[in-house]
Amino acid sequence: MAAVGSVRAALQVAEVLETIVSCCLGPEGRQILCTKPTGEVLLSRDGGLLLKALHLEHPIARMMVACVSSHLRKTGDGAKTFIIFLCHLLREFHAITDKEKDSLFFKNIQTHGRHWKNCCQWKFISQALLTFQTQVLDYVMDHFLSRHFLSIFSSSTKKRTLCRSSLEMLLEAFFCGRVGRNNHTFISQLMCDYFFNCMSCESEFEEVFELVDDCFVELKVGVTGLPVSNSRIIAGLVLHRDFSVYCPADGDIRIVIVTETIQPLFSTSGSEFILNSEQQFQTSQFWIKEKTKAIMKHLQSENVRLLLSSVKQPDLVIYYARLNGISVVECLSSEELSLIQKVTGIAPFVLPQASSQYEISNTALVKFCKPLILRSKRYVHLGLISTCSFIPHCIVLCGPVQGLVEQHEGALHGAFKMLRQLFKDLNLNYVTRASDQNCTSSTNVYKNSRESNQLSEIVNSSVQRPYQGTVVKNEDELAKTHSYSKVCSNLVVPGIELETYIPCSIPEVMPANTYQTDETLRCLSPDKAKIIDDHEPFIESDSANSRTENTRIEISFENVQVTKIAEKRSILPVRYKSLEMSASQSYCFSCIPAGCVLPVGGNFEILLHYYLLNYAKKFQQSEETMVSIIIANALLGIPKTLYKSKKGNKCFPQIYTRALHALQTNQPMVSNPAGLESVAGKYQLLTSVLQCLTNILTIDLVINIKRLPQEIYDEDSEEEL
Amino acid sequence: MSRLEAKRPSLCKSEPLTSERVKATLSVLKGVVTSCYGPAGRLKQLHNGRGGSVCTTSQSAALLASLPVTQPILKILTTSVQNHVSCFSDCGLFTAILCCNLVENVQGVGLTTTTAIKLNKHLLSLCTEYLKSEICGCRIPIDFGSTQLLLCLVRSLLTSKPACMLNREEVEHISTLILRAFLLTVPENAKDRIILGKSIIVPLKGQRVIDSTVLPGVLIEIPEVQMMKILPIKKSDSFKVALFCASLSGDLSETGEGTVVLSHGVSLENAVLDQLLNLGRQLVSDHVDLVMCQKVIHPSLKQFLRTHGVIAMDRVGVALMEPLSKVTGTQPIGSLNSVSPSSYGSVKDWCTAKFGFKHFFHLIPNETTVCSLLLCNRNDTAWDELKLTCQTALHALQLTIKEPYVLLGGGCTETHLAAYIRHKTRDEPESILKGDGCTQTELQLMSEAFCSALETLAGSLEHDGGEILTDRKYGHFWSVQADSPSAVNWPDLLSRCGCGLYSSQEELGWCFLRGAHHPFMPQTCLPREASGSANDLTLDCFTAKLSGLQVAVETANLILDLSYVIEDRN
Repeated sequence: MAAVGSVRAALQVAEVLETIVSCCLGPEGRQILCTKPTGEVLLSRDGGLLLKALHLEHPIARMMVACVSSHLRKTGDGAKTFIIFLCHLLREFHAITDKEKDSLFFKNIQTHGRHWKNCCQWKFISQALLTFQTQVLDYVMDHFLSRHFLSIFSSSTKKRTLCRSSLEMLLEAFFCGRVGRNNHTFISQLMCDYFFNCMSCESEFEEVFELVDDCFVELKVGVTGLPVSNSRIIAGLVLHRDFSVYCPADGDIRIVIVTETIQPLFSTSGSEFILNSEQQFQTSQFWIKEKTKAIMKHLQSENVRLLLSSVKQPDLVIYYARLNGISVVECLSSEELSLIQKVTGIAPFVLPQASSQYEISNTALVKFCKPLILRSKRYVHLGLISTCSFIPHCIVLCGPVQGLVEQHEGALHGAFKMLRQLFKDLNLNYVTRASDQNCTSSTNVYKNSRESNQLSEIVNSSVQRPYQGTVVKNEDELAKTHSYSKVCSNLVVPGIELETYIPCSIPEVMPANTYQTDETLRCLSPDKAKIIDDHEPFIESDSANSRTENTRIEISFENVQVTKIAEKRSILPVRYKSLEMSASQSYCFSCIPAGCVLPVGGNFEILLHYYLLNYAKKFQQSEETMVSIIIANALLGIPKTLYKSKKGNKCFPQIYTRALHALQTNQPMVSNPAGLESVAGKYQLLTSVLQCLTNILTIDLVINIKRLPQEIYDEDSEEEL
Repeated sequence: MSRLEAKRPSLCKSEPLTSERVKATLSVLKGVVTSCYGPAGRLKQLHNGRGGSVCTTSQSAALLASLPVTQPILKILTTSVQNHVSCFSDCGLFTAILCCNLVENVQGVGLTTTTAIKLNKHLLSLCTEYLKSEICGCRIPIDFGSTQLLLCLVRSLLTSKPACMLNREEVEHISTLILRAFLLTVPENAKDRIILGKSIIVPLKGQRVIDSTVLPGVLIEIPEVQMMKILPIKKSDSFKVALFCASLSGDLSETGEGTVVLSHGVSLENAVLDQLLNLGRQLVSDHVDLVMCQKVIHPSLKQFLRTHGVIAMDRVGVALMEPLSKVTGTQPIGSLNSVSPSSYGSVKDWCTAKFGFKHFFHLIPNETTVCSLLLCNRNDTAWDELKLTCQTALHALQLTIKEPYVLLGGGCTETHLAAYIRHKTRDEPESILKGDGCTQTELQLMSEAFCSALETLAGSLEHDGGEILTDRKYGHFWSVQADSPSAVNWPDLLSRCGCGLYSSQEELGWCFLRGAHHPFMPQTCLPREASGSANDLTLDCFTAKLSGLQVAVETANLILDLSYVIEDRN
């Protein structure tokens, strides 16, 4: 059974998901209760979890969920915003389809059926989205948005130190969307305290984050039945086991880690032990006993007071441990042991094979070692002395029900993931590509210096040539259409602009240039093969140029690649000229630096909305600008949902107009922000949503394959949601 | 290829609390727990249609454990109460009823959930701050110099569990036993850190409650046959004890992962038995009088020990190992080859005793913190209920040692607290709101809902249609008979308030609890002599009740905050 994969269907799905998800978005969000088939109940405001719990059946919905989870794997945040943004985008696209039935750029496809026509139309849009992503978005981010970025670090010096108040604001905003309304302040305070307790020195916080993120399960203790306010931080490490032997000890306490039984066994795997007489058996047993005794005695003489074992130790070992005043903890998980090893830097104790004289080098000192009782369950509490930048502390999370404790655990873990992301630099694609071009252009320049100045002329002319060729071809194909005249006008414009703008500001010119040449090619894209045809003569004629290889390879791909090449060409001359004038220092490798934040509450969206519109305004009506405007409008959907329930001064139109006014008059947008959020996270979210949308738009048919083991599978699943 | 199974889509319901079915199930649960509350609470009989024993109870722990709940929202409520009970043993019904009342009342108020939850939290912190403060008028500090208040606490606990089927005299007897058992677990020479011992509850069903008793040391039940074999031996000051945790049955210890090859004619069983007998010889030469083993002792070794006048007891079980090692001061021995003399322990004396139809071996320690509470009751269900109550009481006493306060019981704490909150929210709303964006009207509405939830809770102590009054001086709880004439001289009808602290001889200005009355400030700062004079007070465990209050409000907030329920139907 096939279902038509259309924007309408996707919009229906997204709208249903949006209604569910939007109720738990932001500080006003509420909780959702999930029951599992096992009977457990889980409280959650985590979008990813909810979407998974729904077990959606609709194929497009499943695809969306898959996109969300792949986004979450990368960043661990933003599932709800993902759905809301996607829904608004789809809504915008759906709205324009009715208007744009006879739009300027689809006139040429009329012979096909209506459905296929629609599909093609969506395919173009999705391609436009892709170009938007690769060219416009990063550019706008880098050039306009970046001036609004704040930093989480307290000073802009090379040595980065975390600013506590900024971190608090960041966490508060994060937990607002993750835990119940009454608890977010408490939990974010707890996390902040935890973090600053664990940090030995201010500069090595990244290492601490990494360790806590990796070993979070071992570092938290969940306790049910107590009010949330009883949650606290404990210095030292809490092991989720009880002592097998506990001997209270003071002073110099040393620990060793063992991963095998201390008592020697008769035979190890793969070997045989031959018993010839009963005496032999008794002697060997005696020897085993003496050996165990000797090892334990030796441990005691080395001041070892605690034995951490990953396996169950035999009674004999326990007995001698008790006699020697050594406490024993058995059956520790490998994760727990590896955490202890990381913190203390000791390796497991290896049993000596033959001699009875041996040194125990792998011991670590602990401050204390005592039982800890939480809700009548006993734990081992160790005061490890850290050798790395992480000072061990544990979080005890309390809550009346398991579901709530799990929610808090999940939120805390997510916060560590989010922070880890925040402290990474995020490269902007646009800029990376620009640097590539720098390379090619520099080689060009190099060549140029060796040869003559005329090369520039050649390049320039070669750039112009294909255009003319295609235009001619176009003329043949489509006679005199509207688009044709447009192409012509476009072709003229860059030339003029090039001449005029180069001395003052290159960044302004370049995208304009790109996008216009781009468009010229785009108009021709229905006849891909023909474009290639067009290019061939050009290549032949220009075979002396070193860059022909490039063209030949890439030209055989889709037209996106074609546009790229065209764009490269169009950039090159600009670059070349500017290099001559030695004014192209503006293109260095850049990125969203680590620790960039913006005030919370839709600020990122409003800013991007504003700058995208501004960007679109500068140029004529085209596919690119249309996509930019659509995305800009859809971005507003997020703050709209956030401020849905607010009244008066805090309602969305008020906030929006205030923000716009502030932007136009160059004032700061928010005077005292209530919370902060990561820019990199937002940016990644945006690109993920655009990718997901592209995926959805490029699908024209959904084919449902029925296999035997599947039980009930609704044929027409559109109405299921 | 991995096997894929089609999952059924989940069921997603929005705004679960507005649904009629959920409301109905909530009110059913509320009815069940409310009717159980207090000394006059009605009993519930739980029986499984497929068999199993019938359980008669009014305790939340037993009730909720066997109540099948499928509705997800109710599940949140019941698991939250059960978790509370497993932490504190006491105040389970209190938590459940308060939570139900709060959910119901807040829904009736009609505020947005955001405001309701926010205000609920403020009101809760007002309560906890007051209860923890020095001026609190419903909290009595415990003086460990006298047992008066502790006894009252235990007695109140016992009387609030009617399913134990105790009469007045039996309540007195059992509460003294519980207190004594508890005091026996407190170490005599305590250092900076007190480690409480353990009281083991030994079942003895079918006997009179009055026959229950407390004995220091450990009681081990033994069959009558074995009892006959134990010969009275020479009397001395103390007896040497060896306690084994390793098996003495003669089975082979772990031989490792590889193979063990035996030559023809070599019998490992004999070798091990030889080893055991050697051990026996060592024990005899070390003058051990009593050998106990967690696991099985080989019959030959047993026989050997007996012929040498050593008492051997096996299959003690892992549960008794810790108390035994405490009582005797030994370390469980895990070696068969040679026993270090330092791991022997000793007891002051031992004897055999017969209680009811059961025979016990009684170890009398020199000085320890372990005691046995021999608990009798007429039938199984009543015994189970009594045992649960005893555990609750012992736990409550332990909690009281940590936080040496008790709260007034009998509904007085609730009404007093309600009066205090009403007054506070009327008097100084700004300090409570702290500029949180809520208006004073919203606060008034919520505090009314909160206080009436507390008062309804107190009111559910009355099950016989009586009327409930409160006084305008202390804000305590007073109840009158059902069919008493109204508008009469109240002091004639009333005797003492719920907790028993005040008598009606004072002129206190009574009014109906449910009726509208102007908020008043209840008298704070309990008079000093109040705690000393009265010896028949109804008291509640402070820690358990405080935590119960917090858990109830937090759970109610959680339930109110739900906007969707997603049910996985796989």
